[in-house]
Amino acid sequence: MDDTQRRVDAIRNERSELENHIIDEYSAGKITRREFVRRGTVVGMSIPLVSFLAAACGGGDGGETTGAGTTPTATGEIQAGGAVRVALIQPTTEPNPLLVQDEGGAGLLGSTGEFLSFSNAELELEPRIAETWEPNEDGTVWTFKIRQGVKFHSGATLVADDVKTTFDKLINPDGGSANAQSALGGVLSPGGIEAPDDSTVVFNLDAANGNFPTLVSSANYNAIIIPADLDPADWGKTFEGTGPFKMESFSPKVGAKFVRNDAYWGTKANPDSMELKFYDEEGPMIVALQGGEVDFVEHFSVSGGKALLDDPNVNVIAVKAATHRQLHMRTDKEPFTDKRVRQAIALSIDRQALVDGLWEGQADVGNDSPFAPLYPSTDTSVAQREQDLEQAKQLLSDAGMTSFSVDLSTWNGFEIPDLAQLVKQYASQIGVTINLKITDAGTYYGDGVFGKSTWLDSVMGITDYGHRPVPNVYLTAPLSGDPKVGVWNSAHFKNDQYDSLVKQYVAALDIDSQKGVAKQIEELLLDETPIVFPYFYYFLSASKKNLLNTVSAATGQFDLSKAGFTT
Amino acid sequence: MARFLLTRLGLAAITLFLLSVFVFVGANLLPGNVARRKLGNLADQSAVDQLNHQLGTDKPILVQYWNWISGLLHGDLGTSLSYNLPVNELIGPALTHSVKLAAFAFVMVVPLAILGGILAALKRDKLTDRLITIGGLSLTVVPEFVTGIMLILVFGLWLDLFPVSANAPDGASFLTELKYLFLPALTLVIVLFGYIARITRAGTIEALDADYTRTAALKGLPRRVVIRRHVLRNSLLPTIAVVATQTGYLIGGLVVIETLFNYPGMGRLIFTAANDKDFPLLASSVLLVGIVFLVATLLADIAYSLLNPRIRYATAE
Repeated sequence: MDDTQRRVDAIRNERSELENHIIDEYSAGKITRREFVRRGTVVGMSIPLVSFLAAACGGGDGGETTGAGTTPTATGEIQAGGAVRVALIQPTTEPNPLLVQDEGGAGLLGSTGEFLSFSNAELELEPRIAETWEPNEDGTVWTFKIRQGVKFHSGATLVADDVKTTFDKLINPDGGSANAQSALGGVLSPGGIEAPDDSTVVFNLDAANGNFPTLVSSANYNAIIIPADLDPADWGKTFEGTGPFKMESFSPKVGAKFVRNDAYWGTKANPDSMELKFYDEEGPMIVALQGGEVDFVEHFSVSGGKALLDDPNVNVIAVKAATHRQLHMRTDKEPFTDKRVRQAIALSIDRQALVDGLWEGQADVGNDSPFAPLYPSTDTSVAQREQDLEQAKQLLSDAGMTSFSVDLSTWNGFEIPDLAQLVKQYASQIGVTINLKITDAGTYYGDGVFGKSTWLDSVMGITDYGHRPVPNVYLTAPLSGDPKVGVWNSAHFKNDQYDSLVKQYVAALDIDSQKGVAKQIEELLLDETPIVFPYFYYFLSASKKNLLNTVSAATGQFDLSKAGFTT
Repeated sequence: MARFLLTRLGLAAITLFLLSVFVFVGANLLPGNVARRKLGNLADQSAVDQLNHQLGTDKPILVQYWNWISGLLHGDLGTSLSYNLPVNELIGPALTHSVKLAAFAFVMVVPLAILGGILAALKRDKLTDRLITIGGLSLTVVPEFVTGIMLILVFGLWLDLFPVSANAPDGASFLTELKYLFLPALTLVIVLFGYIARITRAGTIEALDADYTRTAALKGLPRRVVIRRHVLRNSLLPTIAVVATQTGYLIGGLVVIETLFNYPGMGRLIFTAANDKDFPLLASSVLLVGIVFLVATLLADIAYSLLNPRIRYATAE
């Protein structure tokens, strides 16, 4: 025990303020072992270190991190080799790391490319190109140690400069990746990245950011590390990367084939090959899995894949995610200028019924803020809003709006039309008539700017939001009163106290402070209710029963390098 | 004959030109723009503007059209805006796939439907006739995605006799390719059978009731010879016209079936191109389908005139 304690002390002496704080929280029992492992890896402690500290400093609460996001691991039972076939949604653009902004394209990038770290199903960061990372005192400078001896598929050796130039290209305001910039805007600016030697990359941030490593992990799916001299527009010719698979062939609109990379720096891939097949629609994907033409479906929805949920020949892998819908109500236009009216609408909705009906239970109930239950920084002590028709009617009558009608605009995709219908029904129970105006995505989103977009101009609408591993973007773009930041602010919400709270949240480096601010934000949003967040639904993948060890993450990333067949 | 062909070619060229203009204008009326589609709904407007500028889609529509058409006349179909590849690299494989499926469906449905129609006409108003006409009509009326899904379920999943998608793996043998194409082709057969059979039936009945047929029979010719020499070539005239007009649909209109069976054909290509507002790809693909359609109808007209001397002599004047 003394020896262990001495080792722990020695370790702690070398760790940063932030890391010590996390260890303190764990020792005091304020966070679970699982949470400690997660926070530790996010902040840059290596997994062996974290495991050692977890055992040494905690009571051992017995909660081993179960492989959530993976199929059951039957040790020793999987065969070596094999050819895995994957059904992937059709990529919408050419495979250019700067242009990809869809799930299909992300699947292509991640098939051969690697990131600084991999954000897994439990929001832990597993080191990949980066071995370790750590912040300075106040979280404004993050230093990443780059793994040495990593080779690109072409044979060239990866050095820190490749990492630096990759990010330079991504955040370049003149032709970079709009997607990556939505995550890194306001966090990292051009010129802020240095590569002082082959094994070190330094990120100088615009402001302190406790969640930075996640923002440059696989969660930012454009951020695959590519050679410094490769023009991203040419990436589609070779799919150049460092991953366990390398490209053999690519047919646009049809599919792509990959083979094992025998020069991989880590554990070689188990399958001999991986074939991606592109599908335009979900139905054929599901039929293909059932018919034995693919072994793994990267993503399916509850509504389209009910058959799979009950199929005994299929493994369903459910990963908690922050994918959600936002029902916005314009705070600057009738009938929603009075917050009591907005609260009434929110109170008319039976969220659990939506989760059960629309998602077969494969979702978490939302509490009208971007703080999804899966985020560690979410304060779950804030009371969950439940359906309360009486109170809703009372609020409407207090506001003098006992019956009115309003248009709800949205588009015809996923379960959104069903959600719109249900919202309409709930509203009718409190005397509100909703007229549905459902079009297609192109019409709803329009040009994506105020004045030219139904999404941003409509009085009431439903918008779909993809998963993000930290709530930062959800807190700013859809709700900020600053027109330069609130580019997705369809509710036209303007609240100075809210904006200042969000600033505090982003700068907070440790869980406690983040949670403290989150609590205030959650309560403010419950009061103002510019947007109803009805649920956060899980990310579902499926594999054939005999395919094990597939790994899925809520970002749509999948990792089949450890997968194998049992028969 | 030569004059006839020249006139037709001239008219075809005008038709295709008008078609291309219509496609360009029509697609431009839809909201949204290429860069916005590529970068996504949540991208910065400045990034969208920049990409639009790079792709050349911020130029006036007339300029874009002119660029495309002048390239076309030099044999350059342009570059796809969505995929950043030469259009012919995308159209080539898609067209091959569509032709394979169309040919397979064609080879199955045309003889079957013609036989069915003739049989129905010969056994007019009897049970056979009723079965063929009403049965065929019922099958045609069922939407193709319903038929397709039923076939997938029954023959693909439950009985496991055929693959559920239509695209055979690379290097598959001819027979394997046919196996993969069977279900979608069968779907098309079911959809088209009733229509073609009825037209054939109507044509055959008309021929059977004609004076010349009665004369031939009264002359003492056996029924078989009467049918072969006098009835058939006249009854098939409307059928040929109908079959020709279906060719355009078979090559470029099978969006639903291609999606259902995950088959990378022209239908899906055109549909995605329209959604993406990918002008070069869209215009070139539609033009190609237009050409196929015009060639098919031209061949039909030639066959028509070969079968029907009255037409032949009429055009010769």
